[in-house]
Amino acid sequence: MRSFLTALRGNPKAAVGAVIVAIFLAVALLAPVLAPAGPNQRVARPHEAPSAEHVMGSTRMGRDVLSQTIHGTRTSLAVGLAAGALVTVLGVAVGITAGYFGGRVDEGLSLLTNIVLVIPNLPLMLVLAAFIGQAGPLVIAGIIGFTSWGWGARVVRAQTLSLRERDFVRAAELLGEPAWRVIGSELLPNLVSLVGLNFIGSVLYAVITEATLEFLGLGDPLIVSWGTMLYHAQATSALQVGAWWEMAAPCLALILFGSGLSLMNFALDEVANPRLRTLKVPPALLAAVRARGAGREAA
Amino acid sequence: MAFLLRRIGFYVAAFLVAATFNFLVPRLMPGDPVDVMFAQAGTALPPESLEALKATFGLMDEPLPVQYLRYLGSVFTWDLGLSVKFHPLSVNEVLWRALPWTLFLVLTASALAFAAGTLAGIHAAWRRGGRFDSVGAPAAVMLQAVPPLVVSLVALYLFGIALKWLPTGYAWAPLLDPGWTPEFLGSVAAHAVLPVVTLALTQLGGYVVTMRNSMINLLGEDYIVLGTAKGLDDRRLRMAYAARNAMLPTVTSFAMTLGAVFGGALITEVVFNYPGLGYTLYQGITARDYPLIQGQLLVMTLAMLTANLAADLVCLALDPRLRRA
Amino acid sequence: MTTPLLSVRGLCVDYATSDRLVRAAHEVSFDIGPGEVLGLAGESGSGKSTVAFAVARLHRPPAFVTGGTVMLDGTDVLALEGEDLRRWRWRHLSVVLQSAMNALNPLLTVEAQFRDLFEAHGITNRTEIADRSAELVRMVGISPDRLRDHPHRFSGGMRQRLVIAMALALSPKLVIMDEPTTALDVVVQREILEEVAELRRRLGFSVLFITHDLALMSQFCDRVGIMLNGQLVETAAPSDMIAAPRHPYTAKLWASLPRLDADPLPLSKEAAP
Repeated sequence: MRSFLTALRGNPKAAVGAVIVAIFLAVALLAPVLAPAGPNQRVARPHEAPSAEHVMGSTRMGRDVLSQTIHGTRTSLAVGLAAGALVTVLGVAVGITAGYFGGRVDEGLSLLTNIVLVIPNLPLMLVLAAFIGQAGPLVIAGIIGFTSWGWGARVVRAQTLSLRERDFVRAAELLGEPAWRVIGSELLPNLVSLVGLNFIGSVLYAVITEATLEFLGLGDPLIVSWGTMLYHAQATSALQVGAWWEMAAPCLALILFGSGLSLMNFALDEVANPRLRTLKVPPALLAAVRARGAGREAA
Repeated sequence: MAFLLRRIGFYVAAFLVAATFNFLVPRLMPGDPVDVMFAQAGTALPPESLEALKATFGLMDEPLPVQYLRYLGSVFTWDLGLSVKFHPLSVNEVLWRALPWTLFLVLTASALAFAAGTLAGIHAAWRRGGRFDSVGAPAAVMLQAVPPLVVSLVALYLFGIALKWLPTGYAWAPLLDPGWTPEFLGSVAAHAVLPVVTLALTQLGGYVVTMRNSMINLLGEDYIVLGTAKGLDDRRLRMAYAARNAMLPTVTSFAMTLGAVFGGALITEVVFNYPGLGYTLYQGITARDYPLIQGQLLVMTLAMLTANLAADLVCLALDPRLRRA
Repeated sequence: MTTPLLSVRGLCVDYATSDRLVRAAHEVSFDIGPGEVLGLAGESGSGKSTVAFAVARLHRPPAFVTGGTVMLDGTDVLALEGEDLRRWRWRHLSVVLQSAMNALNPLLTVEAQFRDLFEAHGITNRTEIADRSAELVRMVGISPDRLRDHPHRFSGGMRQRLVIAMALALSPKLVIMDEPTTALDVVVQREILEEVAELRRRLGFSVLFITHDLALMSQFCDRVGIMLNGQLVETAAPSDMIAAPRHPYTAKLWASLPRLDADPLPLSKEAAP
């Protein structure tokens, strides 16, 4: 765990990513303080272009796009984190159980996982969301969570299977430790980086999917989130009318937040799998190598 | 071919699960399933059609297991019911009309992304730490983080509306008559550019990263080291020894990410008003056309399973270790 | 000895970590005569594979050769670059690695892999390639009709024989074998080594034999070098070394070999009956 943190610290990609994500988290927490106006307040004329007064322009209903984006950060992040957590927890639970207990349990859970993986996600969610009707953020988080845990389960199962054969796990079992203890204190700590990767990836996926579902009109149009902003913009033909800022703001938010999470993911992947690290030999060392080599030629 | 038989058995099971899901959802919602399913249909459909729909979906006055069997019967005879929005067309007719456009979009975009992404991934991994790799690899990862929704919207605005280089919607210019004329085909091609390129972009990053990582994991293998020691020509080593082996996981992961590709295709079609399954589905959702929505889940699932089967066959062809004497 | 085939003087290999250079081989010097088998023994991490890879020009960054010379049959090995290096490979020096499991490309037939080898070195005539491949596999006791099979259809022992056959394809003067039998069953190990010894007698190539198995080494090698922490501490014929070791580590190494006729080790403080 410690070596994992030190490796992470030395990685600029992780730092940049973490900073971006932290900023978004701060914005989400401080939304009411940061936003110049309320999310549904009419403060300008319809479709006003960005100006000094309204940095991101206004919507068809005359609402401040910047404020909406800031308030929307709260909803989008909340759903993202909740759904991401649900996906990760379900995936890890299924994966570890299948990998550790093996036999029939594994066969059954693996079959379930593979089926969930092979049925396309979005159509599945669309059926659910369409039947449920205007799904609020929490419901959306639930829909995403219960349909998307397959990938995580598969990855965790594979890792559990390989860890299971290791000496320290066998030793714990021989000592008579109950299954839950072996899982909790021997397996889980070694799965941390994998689970972390899984979580970050799940949050990213959840935020994107939430925005997509809401864009398609399956969310609650009264809620303000990046997705519903896009839905309203589409419904009022913002792009066609030239009011690109109404779409641009949530798009930008999605891109930036996504990049932040992605960078963290990339860095974590390198830490978890050392072979992927690009070993850059520091120039000072290269010079030292050349100097020694030169000495050889002179000899 | 035990391998193939097992896979096919699995696919049948998965399809069954999708159908069962369709069966359960309306029954798990609060209220009478009939009301839930046909809320909109009541006004749009004549009574006989409504009765036929009820029969198809097993919503007659029968015990649950019988309803289930009746529904399964409909599904396996591919009777997906009547569409509410597009009445009097059946769901089948609506979907099969839209499917070719989606297939065209998905296949072209995937081929493009696969070719470009795989080559880029090979190049990045072979010259690790070089300029292409240091910029390309993180760029590919960041590209993956951009939602297909955003890519589509940005492409639409930039190239369709702001720059007016390419048409902004539909599969061909609305005023033209469909037919195998060069004018029509040209229009189809022009209208396909944005959706195809957009969809390809959304997948590109994935291919680059998968191929790159697969190659890198491979580069320490003995047969690669030995290949260098043998004095094999660089290109042969890179392609026939490294890349061919690295591609195997790419093929499997391609099959798995196909679900995401279909999802992306759905969005792209909605943004560009492209008349494929996605756009049709969007219209169905707005009109709460439940038979159509449920039917599309089955069609999409079938498409996924077929693609997976195709990937299995490709793997069998590529990897001699999977064939048993 | 007469003019040595391989002459290594003051070889130094460094590994670059994130902040410093770690010396993996330090001032290693030894010779191998024509047709001689030199063994390089030592525990894990002693630097024996590092030396072998350096001689075979197989190191990639972050490993660097930072000192010394390697002369093989009159060629300055460390000075070769680019196309010259590629052409030199395998013709003059070939390599057999430890794990036969992964030494061959799993996706190509054995035939195709032989063909790649010959074509890379300018031999393109199909008949000639077919004849030479058949002859090589026959030499290691494998039937030429098996050339059309993929590597996974062969057992571990047979795969290693194929690798050896490939190593001899261009009649090299020196073959480096890095733990070639470690991953195999004991009986197969023996068979293969005897076959290699026989081939050496017939074809006259030299061998640099890397292993940690001292017993194997004393039977198979003409001379043995002991490596400790990146340095070559002693070189002598096995019998001389056992009789009169000059370095304390050498003595310890040979003494640590379990002997079949020794007294059993006491396992507890309360002695056995």
